[in-house]
Amino acid sequence: MAEPRILTYREAVLEALFEEMRANADVVVIGEDVAAAGGVFKQTEGLFAEFGANRVIDTPISEPGAFGMAVGAAMSGLRPVFEVMFGDFMTLVMDQLVNQAAKVRYMSNGTAKVPLVLRTTMGLGANLGPQHSQSFHAWAAHVPGLKIAIPSTPADAKGLWKAAIRDDDPVLIFEDRLLYTMKGDIPAGDHVLPLGQARIVREGRDVTLIAIGRMVEFAQAAAKLLADEGIEVEIIDPRTLVPFDTKTVIDSVKRTHRALVIDGAPRAYGVTGEIAATIAEEAFDWLDAPVGRLAGSNTPVPFSRSLEKLARPDAKTIAQHVRAVLG
Amino acid sequence: MAKSKKPAAKSKIPAPKPRKPQPGTRQDSAAFLAIYRQMALIRAFEEAVRSLATSGLVPGLVHLCSGQEATNVGVISALEPRDIIASHHRGHGHCLARGAEPNLLLAEILGKAAGYGGGRSGSMHVIDLEHGNLGTNGIVGGGIPLACGAALTARARNSGAVSVCFFGDGALNQGLLHECMNMAAIWKLAVVFVCENNGYGEFTAIDDVTAGDSIPARGEVFGIPSKTIDGMDVLAVRKAALAAVTKARKGGGPSFLICNTWRYGGHHVGDKQDYKDDAEAKAWRAKDPLPRFAAWLAKHHGIGARKLSNIDQTVAAQVASAVDAARRAPEPDSSALDRHVYG
Amino acid sequence: MTTALPEDRLWHLFEMMLLMRRFEESVVKMNVENHFTGHYHLYIGQEATGAAAIAQLEARDTITATHRNHGHVIARGAEPGPALAEIMGRAGGLSLGRGGTIHLSDPALGFLSTSGVVGGSISLGAGGAFARKMKKDGSVHMACFGDSALEEGVAYEALNISSLWKLPIVLLCENNSADAWDKSRGGYTSLVHAANDLRSIPGAMGIPSIRIDGTEVDEVHAAVAEAIAHCRSGKGPMFIEAMTRRWAGSAPLWPELSTGVTDLKMATGEAPMSGEHKAWYEENDPVLKLARRLLKTSPQAKDRMWELDRKAIARMQAAEKFAIDSPMPAPQTALEHVFA
Ligand SMILES: Cc1ncc(C[n+]2csc(CCOP(=O)(O)OP(=O)(O)O)c2C)c(N)n1
Ligand SMILES: Cc1ncc(C[n+]2csc(CCOP(=O)(O)OP(=O)(O)O)c2C)c(N)n1
Ligand SMILES: [Mg+2]
Ligand SMILES: [Mg+2]
Repeated sequence: MAEPRILTYREAVLEALFEEMRANADVVVIGEDVAAAGGVFKQTEGLFAEFGANRVIDTPISEPGAFGMAVGAAMSGLRPVFEVMFGDFMTLVMDQLVNQAAKVRYMSNGTAKVPLVLRTTMGLGANLGPQHSQSFHAWAAHVPGLKIAIPSTPADAKGLWKAAIRDDDPVLIFEDRLLYTMKGDIPAGDHVLPLGQARIVREGRDVTLIAIGRMVEFAQAAAKLLADEGIEVEIIDPRTLVPFDTKTVIDSVKRTHRALVIDGAPRAYGVTGEIAATIAEEAFDWLDAPVGRLAGSNTPVPFSRSLEKLARPDAKTIAQHVRAVLG
Repeated sequence: MAKSKKPAAKSKIPAPKPRKPQPGTRQDSAAFLAIYRQMALIRAFEEAVRSLATSGLVPGLVHLCSGQEATNVGVISALEPRDIIASHHRGHGHCLARGAEPNLLLAEILGKAAGYGGGRSGSMHVIDLEHGNLGTNGIVGGGIPLACGAALTARARNSGAVSVCFFGDGALNQGLLHECMNMAAIWKLAVVFVCENNGYGEFTAIDDVTAGDSIPARGEVFGIPSKTIDGMDVLAVRKAALAAVTKARKGGGPSFLICNTWRYGGHHVGDKQDYKDDAEAKAWRAKDPLPRFAAWLAKHHGIGARKLSNIDQTVAAQVASAVDAARRAPEPDSSALDRHVYG
Repeated sequence: MTTALPEDRLWHLFEMMLLMRRFEESVVKMNVENHFTGHYHLYIGQEATGAAAIAQLEARDTITATHRNHGHVIARGAEPGPALAEIMGRAGGLSLGRGGTIHLSDPALGFLSTSGVVGGSISLGAGGAFARKMKKDGSVHMACFGDSALEEGVAYEALNISSLWKLPIVLLCENNSADAWDKSRGGYTSLVHAANDLRSIPGAMGIPSIRIDGTEVDEVHAAVAEAIAHCRSGKGPMFIEAMTRRWAGSAPLWPELSTGVTDLKMATGEAPMSGEHKAWYEENDPVLKLARRLLKTSPQAKDRMWELDRKAIARMQAAEKFAIDSPMPAPQTALEHVFA
C-alpha cells in the first residue's frame, strides 16, 4: 500500500493536471501568464517545462477571444483547460460561455460536444477590492449545459479536476484562492471523483449544514464551537452544484430535521435560495424549523479589511445562525 | 562583388502565369459545373425558404443569402474535407456548400425533429461537424473564435487542416474579431478570415458604424495579408481563397479576405429594405453571380444554356423534395425538450 | 523637434513628479509595515508622462485610468492623505476605503474611475468623452491606459465609436514594455501583440497618433497639447503612445523598491550610480533626468530642488500620519453606497 501523501490544494490540482496531460495529448492549458510564468498564483507551475508552448499556451489579455477559441478547440477535438485569472473576469467570457459552449451539445442534437474545463477563482479575503474578489458560481449554475465544481479540500480538488478534464461537457471549477495553501491527504492511485456526489464532511444529529467551497472550512470551525455547547452538526459539501446530489442532502435533513445553507457569494438569488427551496420541497414534512440561509452581503466586495470580513460568513456567524435554526 | 549577385536582373523575368483552365477539358469543366451547381442549389434553396417563410411556415426570423452565393461557394470550393468552417446567421449557403443535406437543413429551419439540431436550434444554429462545419451562429462574430480554436486543434494535432470563419461586415466592429486576428497572427494559425461585406448590418449602412477608410487595414494592423475582392465573382473569390488556404496550410499564417457582396432579400424575410437606394440595388442585381458565372462557362468552356438549365432543374427538384419532406416531417416530441443538455 | 518648456513650467512639473515619486515610496513603506495587504501597482518610471499630460487638463475635463493609477490621481490634484488612506482601506480614503489601490479615483476632480479590468479605461473613457461632447463646452476626456489594453477587444470597439462620433478623447497609451523602443514586429516584451507598431491600431480606425518618449516632459507636453487642441476643436480623438522602460520594481509580481528610495544626489553627482540599476539612474528615471536638467539652469537650482523635496517628503509624512490615524470604516456602514 502506498503511503497517504500530504499535498497542498495547489499541488493537488497540479498533480491532476500533470497526470491528465500525460495521459491524454488532447489536454491543453490556455490562459494569461500560465506558461513560463507558471500562473499568477503559481497554479500552473512546471506544466510549461514539461509540455511546451503548444500545450501550455499564454494568451494576450483577450479573454473573450481566447475563451471562444478554447470552445472551438473543444468542438474540434481538444480538451482545453482555460483559465480565467480572476473569477471577476468571467464577465468577459460570458457570451462565449453561455451562448456557445453551454448550448453546442443541445443545438447539435448531441452530435457535437464541448469537453473543456474553465478554471477560475472565487472568494474574498485577500484585500483585492471590488473587481478582483467576486464569486460567480451561482451565475454560471443558472445556465443549462454547464457543470459546476467547487472543491473544498486538496483531495477533492484532485478528484474533481480529473473528473472534469475527462468529462465531455463544459465544467467550471471555482477555486477559492485562500485554499491554495491548505494541506490534506491525497488518496493513492487514479483518484477521480464522480461529478454529482456530495461528501458528508462531518456527521451530527442536530442540524445539517450545507456549505459551499471555503465555507466548509468555516462550518467545521463552527461545528467545534457548537460541540462545546452540546450541539452536533452534520456538514455536507455538495462538491458540485451541477449536477447536484439532492439525495445525500435530503437524506441528511430527514435525519436531523433542520438545515442551514451557507455560501460566500451575495445572498440574493444565489445558491442558498435554490438549495433551501429544494429541501423545503422534498423534505418539508421532516423539517422542524424553516431552512436557514447564510450568505455574503448584497454589496460589492469592499476593499477595506474591516468591511471585507463582514461581506461573507465565518465560523462565528455560522454558529449564530445554527443556534437560530435550533430555536 | 561577384557578378552573379544581381537581384534586379532576376526580377525582370516574368513570373510564370497561373495555368488558365483549358476551355473544353472535361475535368475542369466538371469542377466548374460543380461550382455552378452549388450556387444554383443555394439560390433555389433560399428562394424556397423565402416562400415558406412568407407563407408563415418558418418559425421565427430567417436570414437568406441569395446574392452571396459566390462568396459562399468561392471560398468553400477551395477547401478540403478535413478543413473546418464557422458560419454566421446568414449561413444556409455555407452549410450547403460544405455538404449539408438540404433535407436536414430545411427540416431544422422548419423546427422539425429530423433537422440537424432535432428542430431545437433553427436556421441560426445549424451545427454539422460531419462536414467540418462548427455551425451557423446567432451571435454576431460568435463563430470567429470557434474557427480559430479549430485551428489550434489543427496545430496541436498537426493535421494540416485549415479553418475559415465567415462573418458579415457587422462583425468588423466586434472586439472579438480584433482579439482573434491578433492571436491568429501571433500563433500563425491556419485561419482565413472571410468578411462577407454586403454593405449593411441589419438596417444600418457599414459606413455609419465603421471608422477609418480601409477595411483591409484592420487586418494589416496585425500583419495579416488583407485583400478586397469582388464577392459577386465566384472565380475571383475562389482564386483568393485558394491562395489564402494554401498559404495557411503551409504554415504561413492567417489571411483576411473582404468579399464585397449584396443580400438580395434584405436582412430577413419580410425586410422592406426602404433604407436602401433603388439604383444601388439595381446595380448589384446586374452583378448577379449566377448569370455572370454562366456567361463565363459559356465563353471559356463552351457550356450551353441547356446544360445549365438541366442543372437548374435538378437542384429545383432536389429542393422541392426537401420542402416536401420537411413539411411532412414530424415536430420533435416533448421528450426532446431536455435531451442533450448534458452528455 | 519639440521646443523646450519654459523653466518655471519645468519646475512646476518637477514638483509634481517628485510628489508622485515620494507618494509611491510611501505606498511601499505602508505595505512593508503591514498597514495594508493585497496587490498593488506603482507608477514609478512614468511620472513625466502623467505629470505633463494631466497638468494640461482643465477643471471641466475628465479622466479615467487603470490599475496603475496612483500617479494620475496625484497629478490630478487629489490630496495625498486621502489617496494613501484609500490604498490602506481607511474611512478617510477617497472612496471611504471601499475601492483600494486599483480603484483610486476622485470624481470631485473629474476623475471618473480607474478600472481594475484591463481595457476599461478606454470604454469608460469613450463614455466620458461622449458626455463631454454633449456638453458642447469644448471640454475633453483623457483616457490613460497601458499597452496591454490594446489586446482587449473592448479597446477596438471603443476606438471605433470614438472615431465615428468624433469624441473629444485623448487616448494616452502608456507603453511601459521593457525596451519597447525600436522593437520590430511582435517585439514588445511585456506585450502579446502582433502589431509591430501600436499606432497602426488607432490608425486603422482613422485616429491620428503621436509616439513620444514618455520620460521627456517636453515631448509629452507638446504631444498632449496638440491632442487636447485637436479634441477641443471638435476634430475627434487623438492617440498618444508614450514609451517608457518598465521600472525594475514593477517587473516582479509584487512591486519592490528595487532601485531604492530616490536620491536626488544621484542627479548632482554626489551619490554614486552603480550596480544593476546604473542604466536606470542614468538614463531612464524621469525624476532624475529632469532634476539633472534643472540643476544646470542656475546656481540656485540645487537649493530650490532640495526645498521642493523637503516639501514633498513633509507632505507625505503628513499623508502617512493622516492615513494611519484614519479609522477603518465602521461595520455599520457596510451596506452603504450600494444604491443611491
Ligand atoms: C452580438 C449580437 N448583436 C446583435 C445581434 C443582432 N443582429 C443580428 S444580425 C445583425 C447584423 C449583422 O450584420 P452583418 O454582420 O453585416 O451580417 P449580414 O446580416 O449583413 O449578413 C445584428 C445586429 C446579434 N445577433 N448578435
Ligand atoms: C480583463 C483583465 N484581465 C486580466 C487582468 C490582470 N492584469 C492586471 S494588470 C495586467 C497587465 C496590464 O498590462 P498593461 O495594460 O500594459 O499595464 P501595465 O501594468 O504594464 O502598466 C493584467 C493582465 C485584469 N486586471 N483585467
Ligand atoms: Mg452585412
Ligand atoms: Mg504595460
